[in-house]
Amino acid sequence: MCTGRVDPALVAKAFKKGIDGLLVVGCYFGDCHYITGNHQAKAKMDMTRKLFKFIGLNEERLAFRQCSSGEASVFVEIVSEFDQKIRSIGPLGGDGDRVKAPEIFKKLEAAEAVLAGEKIRWIIGKRTPFLETGNVYGEIFTEHEFNRAIEMIIVEEMEVQEILARLKETARSVKDLANDLAIPPSRVFRYITALKRKGMVALDKVTGQTPIFQLTGQEV
Amino acid sequence: MIYEKNQRYIIPFDDVPSPRAEMPEISVDERRGNFVEVETGFPEDIAVQEAKRCLSCRRCLGCALCWAECESEAIDFSIPDEELDLEFDDVVVTKGQDNSFFPIDPKLGFGSYADVITDIQFERMLSPTGPTDGMVVSPLDGEIPKRMAIVQGHPNEDDDQLLSSLVLGVNESIIALDRTKDLEVILVSPINEVFKEQFLSNAEKISGLRIVKGDPESVEKDQEDAPLSLKYSENGRQQDDTFDLIVILTKPKISSEIKSLSRKLEKPVQ
Amino acid sequence: MQDKKVLIVGGGLDGVSAALEKAEAGAQVTIVEKFPTLGAERIPRDRLIQPDDAFVNPDLDKMRNHDNIQVLTYSEIKKVNRDNGKVSAHILKRSLRVDNIKCNDCKACIKVCPVNMFDDFDEGFSFRTAVDYFNPATGEYNIFKEDMPVCQQACPVNLDIRTYVAQIADGKHLDSLATIRDRLPLPGSIGRVCPHPCETACNRQYLDEPISICFLKRYVADVEINGGIEPVYETPEKKLPEKIAIIGAGPAGLTCAYHLARQGYENITIYEALPVPGGYLWVGIPEYRLPKKLLQREVDLIANMGIDIQYNKRIGKEISYEDLKKNNDAIFIGAGCHLGLKLRVPGEDEYEGKGIVDCVTFLRDQALGNPIDTKGKLIVIGGGNAAIDSARVGWRMGFDEVYILYRRTKKEMPANTWEIDAAEHEGVIIQYLAAPVEILGKDGRVSGMKCIKMELGEPDASGRRRPVPIEGSEYVIDAETIVPALSQAANLEFLGEDHGLDINRWNTFDIDEETGATNVQGVFAGGDVVTGPDIAIRAVAAGKKAAEGIHEYLRSK
Ligand SMILES: Cc1cc2nc3c(=O)[nH]c(=O)nc-3n(C[C@H](O)[C@H](O)[C@H](O)COP(=O)(O)OP(=O)(O)OC[C@H]3O[C@@H](n4cnc5c(N)ncnc54)[C@H](O)[C@@H]3O)c2cc1C
Ligand code: SF4
Ligand code: SF4
Repeated sequence: MCTGRVDPALVAKAFKKGIDGLLVVGCYFGDCHYITGNHQAKAKMDMTRKLFKFIGLNEERLAFRQCSSGEASVFVEIVSEFDQKIRSIGPLGGDGDRVKAPEIFKKLEAAEAVLAGEKIRWIIGKRTPFLETGNVYGEIFTEHEFNRAIEMIIVEEMEVQEILARLKETARSVKDLANDLAIPPSRVFRYITALKRKGMVALDKVTGQTPIFQLTGQEV
Repeated sequence: MIYEKNQRYIIPFDDVPSPRAEMPEISVDERRGNFVEVETGFPEDIAVQEAKRCLSCRRCLGCALCWAECESEAIDFSIPDEELDLEFDDVVVTKGQDNSFFPIDPKLGFGSYADVITDIQFERMLSPTGPTDGMVVSPLDGEIPKRMAIVQGHPNEDDDQLLSSLVLGVNESIIALDRTKDLEVILVSPINEVFKEQFLSNAEKISGLRIVKGDPESVEKDQEDAPLSLKYSENGRQQDDTFDLIVILTKPKISSEIKSLSRKLEKPVQ
Repeated sequence: MQDKKVLIVGGGLDGVSAALEKAEAGAQVTIVEKFPTLGAERIPRDRLIQPDDAFVNPDLDKMRNHDNIQVLTYSEIKKVNRDNGKVSAHILKRSLRVDNIKCNDCKACIKVCPVNMFDDFDEGFSFRTAVDYFNPATGEYNIFKEDMPVCQQACPVNLDIRTYVAQIADGKHLDSLATIRDRLPLPGSIGRVCPHPCETACNRQYLDEPISICFLKRYVADVEINGGIEPVYETPEKKLPEKIAIIGAGPAGLTCAYHLARQGYENITIYEALPVPGGYLWVGIPEYRLPKKLLQREVDLIANMGIDIQYNKRIGKEISYEDLKKNNDAIFIGAGCHLGLKLRVPGEDEYEGKGIVDCVTFLRDQALGNPIDTKGKLIVIGGGNAAIDSARVGWRMGFDEVYILYRRTKKEMPANTWEIDAAEHEGVIIQYLAAPVEILGKDGRVSGMKCIKMELGEPDASGRRRPVPIEGSEYVIDAETIVPALSQAANLEFLGEDHGLDINRWNTFDIDEETGATNVQGVFAGGDVVTGPDIAIRAVAAGKKAAEGIHEYLRSK
């Protein structure tokens, strides 16, 4: 399989299942049978590493390396080096990561939803056109601009997916969500009103002074 | 007027290096008696770091995802802007939808605390089509307030401003009290003659609302999630009280575009 | 009222009811609103309400279906003219980019759009996405696409900052320089001296501090120089024959010539009164802020496009304006403001040239290497950048002590704060709240100045508190040289008598903002000569606009 087909959502899923490291080894740039497969792979893994860093997972657990099929010794070197690295970082959710188990697994669940979601997939797919021919307005992006756009989406999508994941379990108040997710409550409030605008969240009931919100079943 | 018109919504991301780079200079001793350039320029690594701080501000990314999702094919990026030249016999200039207001004394906490909002924001919140469908909540934590204060943001303004903001404040209290169980509202503002004659007795009959003739002084809180503490003077006496939500009565400001149109057309803003 | 055409500005509640009222009376109504949809329901502010009858709704349905009403939302009135009771308006209607007739409000787009922004309609309580319905009551969708980011908007020449900064982040320094040069031919110079209005606007300031946009421009210009790269500014193959004369080789004139050459004009001559190019970039801004060598290089790059710069050619002296007009198809006037204003205190005229030198002359003499007597103390009067520059130059030239006298306090000083700090840092003594009363002399030369202390009184028309003298607080500072640096004015005498140009009461021209055209066909103007003393980048912008105006004018002839 071409590394270009490695789905970031599967990567997140694998980590959620408890693996400690994942190494993606592709061909050298220029050697790709599908021409740009390895470029795409690199972009996808870079983005996934960004997201891992954001959620508090040591991003070194995921690596993208290159060698050709004839270079057995290089391959061995890459693998043993990676093996060393993962051993030094230690088990998932331990001292090597900013966010610990079991919390990290909840984060990874939301991360999987983010990576499986349409926004990130679509935008990552737009990387080459954006950098080379431009967006629908003909504006050509620099790498930096493209990365900024991805970062912005990662931050917001993560937060929104975490909120949605908690709401899927049970209806909740803004305060509860904020406490659970360590996001400032005023920010959660804004997300909730925005999700309401989109028809994805609605008021369930009011208990005492506290409005409780639930999903409408209209999520994408 | 609040936020997006100023394009301020920013998402911080860890990867963005933080402090602004400083321009290196030669020392003062090296400057006397010569005209050598003082600023020596960024070295490459500093320049690249500094450039990476740029947020690449952009709203619509032009990614066309919305277009791909839209089944009725309503989205069309190629619809052009139009320029029209029209002639008229008469003009009426109104304020438009730009709800700008004059700056509020920073002591009143607007901009520092999420639970201090303006009367215009509160108007939106109370509206049935508003962000909470008309439910009164604190934007700080989404909880329904028990005690709220409506305070005058421009106590020393002219009669017109005082009157219209007071009436708005009372009207907003009427709606909020009607919508919210066990709510207490106090309205702190100087009161002028016209309001006293025309509205005060009716306003004082509203149950749950207390009108305080006085000047608001400051709004503070010790901790992000603590209630707001409002200091105000009532008949010269210093008062101190806590609230879950504070609404500031603002003074509307006409945007500079409308002002200059009104000047050019010699038509007052209605 | 029949068939009367009425324009309603503003689509809030007031605008909508005014529109309906006029339309009912039979008028043809056009309502123009800046926001993408018409207004929201409001709470009355003139009567007390009932809880169940709280909001007044604008009657949007009636409005939309009314035959006599044309609704222009997301529109701006760009220009209005009143003539004989008629009003003509030029209106820009922005594209919503969504066909709201086809749209069935399924909300699919807003669920997927990855861009959140504060929701103006809900006064910032919520997020909207870049594609969104603005007003829930009307459900009209629009896509918010800014024309340009705030930094670019704030830049007078609208440099594509977002791109050039990001290109530096990507390590593509020369691409970045090319992006800048697309609009600005003087990146190294402007990157050193610009007071950067873009940074004042930059969004990053709401997080911590603005991006150092200006110095990054200087950085890429330096990369080219340090790399020993000598670029060639391209001009098109196809040449255009018209003759164009440019008065003044300041930033306005140079930029105008650059952009005209890029259109293919090959008969461009710049007439410059001084022996050096750059205008105030050379004879105002001192060497320690902008090395002449660097400025010369940037001017040479422009001149190498085939532009003839004739030095020591003052229009009105070596060549008359009339001749210039006769022999050219178009003229650009970029003559700047080179008259220093006077203090108007006793003794000033008496000692003119004997210890009193206005800052324009003082800085020019220093820049051109003319002799200046640096004995004793120097007093500079004023609070602008020219005052600070004069003082810092004086300090470097070796005056014993250098003073700046300013009528107000540091807070009111128009000079850039970083310049003020640098001057104080270097040892310039700034006396705030002080003003000159009289120039004192001895043996036919300046010997000192009588000053008076001031205090701040009531705010004046400009909103700044007016300084008033404190009676009996006069004092004397001994000094051998006094440099008034109040402000500068344009000198238009070179035009002669029969130029036909309208000159306004500020002794400058009224030009068409878009094209730089004056009232005389084929004559364009821009820069300080139009605006009064301003900043270099605005002169650059004016030169660029005029180049476009001249091109359009010559091509339509
Ligand atoms: C001391 C000082 C410091 C400044 N510092 C800064 C700064 O830090 N940053 C900044 O952005 N701006 C600064 N400025 C302002 C800036 O330099 C000017 O706004 C800018 O140079 C104006 O450009 P211009 O092309 O309109 O005119 P100028 O630069 O004034 O150029 C006009 C040119 O026309 C020539 N000329 C005039 N009359 C004739 C004639 N009859 N025939 C032929 N040629 C003629 C003049 O000799 C001159 O070379 C400063 C100005 C001064 C005085
Ligand atoms: S989804 Fe549509 S509106 Fe949103 S960023 Fe992409 S193109 Fe723009
Ligand atoms: S961060 Fe500043 S410089 Fe960068 S695009 Fe935004 S406004 Fe411009």
